[in-house]
Amino acid sequence: MPRFLRPADIAFAAAIAVTLFYPSAGGMLSGHAAGLLILVQAVFIVRRIFGKDREAVVASGDALFVVYVFLFSWELAAAKLNVLDSFLYPSPGVVVKTFIDEIPALLKGLLSSLRLLLGGYLLAVAVAVPAGLYFGYKRRLKLASKPFAKVLGPIPPLVYIPYAIAILPTFRAASIFIIFIGALWPIFINTMNGVSDVDKRVIDTAKTLKLNDRQMILWVILPGSVSSIMSGANIGLSFSFILLTSAEMIGGTSGMGWYVKYFSDFANYPKVIVGIVFIGIVVTIVTFFFDSLERYLLRWRK
Amino acid sequence: MDSVLKLDVQRIDMTYDDGGKSFTALSDVSFAVEKGLFVSILGPSGCGKSTILNLFAGLVSPTGGRILLDGEPISGAGLDRSVVFQHYSLFPWMSARRNVELAAKQAFPEKSSAEISGIASGFLEIVGLADFADKFPSELSGGMQQRVSIARALAMDSEVLLMDEPFGAIDTKNRVALQDLLLSLCERGAEKKTVVFVTHDIDEAILLSDKIIVMASGPGRVQAEISVGFKRPRDRVSLVKEEGYVSIRNRIVSLFYADIADKIGGGEVVI
Ligand SMILES: Nc1ncnc2c1ncn2[C@@H]1O[C@H](COP(=O)(O)OP(=O)(O)O)[C@@H](O)[C@H]1O
Ligand SMILES: [Mg+2]
Repeated sequence: MPRFLRPADIAFAAAIAVTLFYPSAGGMLSGHAAGLLILVQAVFIVRRIFGKDREAVVASGDALFVVYVFLFSWELAAAKLNVLDSFLYPSPGVVVKTFIDEIPALLKGLLSSLRLLLGGYLLAVAVAVPAGLYFGYKRRLKLASKPFAKVLGPIPPLVYIPYAIAILPTFRAASIFIIFIGALWPIFINTMNGVSDVDKRVIDTAKTLKLNDRQMILWVILPGSVSSIMSGANIGLSFSFILLTSAEMIGGTSGMGWYVKYFSDFANYPKVIVGIVFIGIVVTIVTFFFDSLERYLLRWRK
Repeated sequence: MDSVLKLDVQRIDMTYDDGGKSFTALSDVSFAVEKGLFVSILGPSGCGKSTILNLFAGLVSPTGGRILLDGEPISGAGLDRSVVFQHYSLFPWMSARRNVELAAKQAFPEKSSAEISGIASGFLEIVGLADFADKFPSELSGGMQQRVSIARALAMDSEVLLMDEPFGAIDTKNRVALQDLLLSLCERGAEKKTVVFVTHDIDEAILLSDKIIVMASGPGRVQAEISVGFKRPRDRVSLVKEEGYVSIRNRIVSLFYADIADKIGGGEVVI
């Protein structure tokens, strides 16, 4: 297949054609939907020209094919053929327009959410990593903490939410506490396990260099467990997002989760969809930075 | 030899406690390492060579007997002994330079970072890795990694150099280069280092050593001590033509394979 014609391009052409040229009822904002399609395709084309990793470019093309087929079907069903109830299923154009209009409100929610998320999450990292390193390094502490980690770790932290909201003075404190608890265990357990995975021969080398406990933990145990720590931190981060949005939906008065819940109560489904899409975008961006950090920290690995 | 003893192994036993079962790795081992000599410990896999090296390094203690270092029993690791293992001698998350600097700083805490950095560059240059100083170990070949380990040991300027099959995992061509490098490094210093070199390669042991401790397994014990008196500086080509080379080699070969032949049922072993 020639470089400039991929399944994604054909799907794009089909989607754009039906969006622009198939007549629709008023208020479906097909222009906005077309704008979204063109924007996505433009990004794809840029990536195709400058992308070094051919396989990754092909993979994103394949993924886009699915996206275009989805947008095509959605536009056709919601805006053109009217087989979907436009109240429950707003058309793509309506969602795009709502998204643009709602950007200030979304950013405000993001700010409010990030304050809770970072508060709880960074606190968990700050406690779990040093504790995990130290407990993992001191065999006796590790054995003593195992039963706690085994029993407390698997409790889904979601179930703490109502009680935390009840006993803590503010919603902010309760959310931070819940996110903290939720992220704490996976990071702690993974860090502790990472310590035992540090190659014994590396530790022997460190001993022959007479590193003291502090140097041993900072220069040997910590970098040697970074891979485990990061996978714990990754799980902790996913938990944090789930807990954050859940807490906001249960007891919040602002934030990304609250936004979705609030407009669901008013049956404002375009805004609900916009809220969900926005959370998806935020999580994707955060994950991207997280992955970059992990790659940087593990750049010494082959 | 009435020279000063650097390491004096006195009737040591080493029994590992392996999850309830005990395993005797060394039984009644005695030998000495004279100051300034290059001593190889030669023996088949599993005869306790690494155990001896780890005892010297202070990573483990013997279950019986004692080992004296400069006349004092060894208690733990020390910066007077630097160690090169077969694998994982380097911290994989530190560049070659950083690995060497870390060791130098440990050995010379009073030196400034500029001085430490100078020492590191100097020794990386000596081992031929000046251009690779900022690479991570994973970006270097096995042979280059061992060069960095050697540079690190030299940068610590420790009196004793302990090496556990350092070239065992290196391909032949690079092994030869590394042996020559080690030979030249050991032969040039005025204050000669004491080297304990573990290997299972007979020719490597003869080329490098002043003395070879031949070990046998089951349990690990010393089978023979062989002095290797060929003049230095040595090179591998003229060494094999030296008078006595063939007889020393034959003697070691027969010791080495007699032990293995015992283990596999006493049959004839043809080399
Ligand atoms: N930590 C340990 N626990 C139990 N057994 C061990 C331990 N270290 C070594 N051994 C055993 O002791 C014997 C000698 O090991 P080692 O000194 O590594 O021999 P070599 O280096 O000559 O191959 C081997 O049989 C090995 O399995
Ligand atoms: Mg060994």
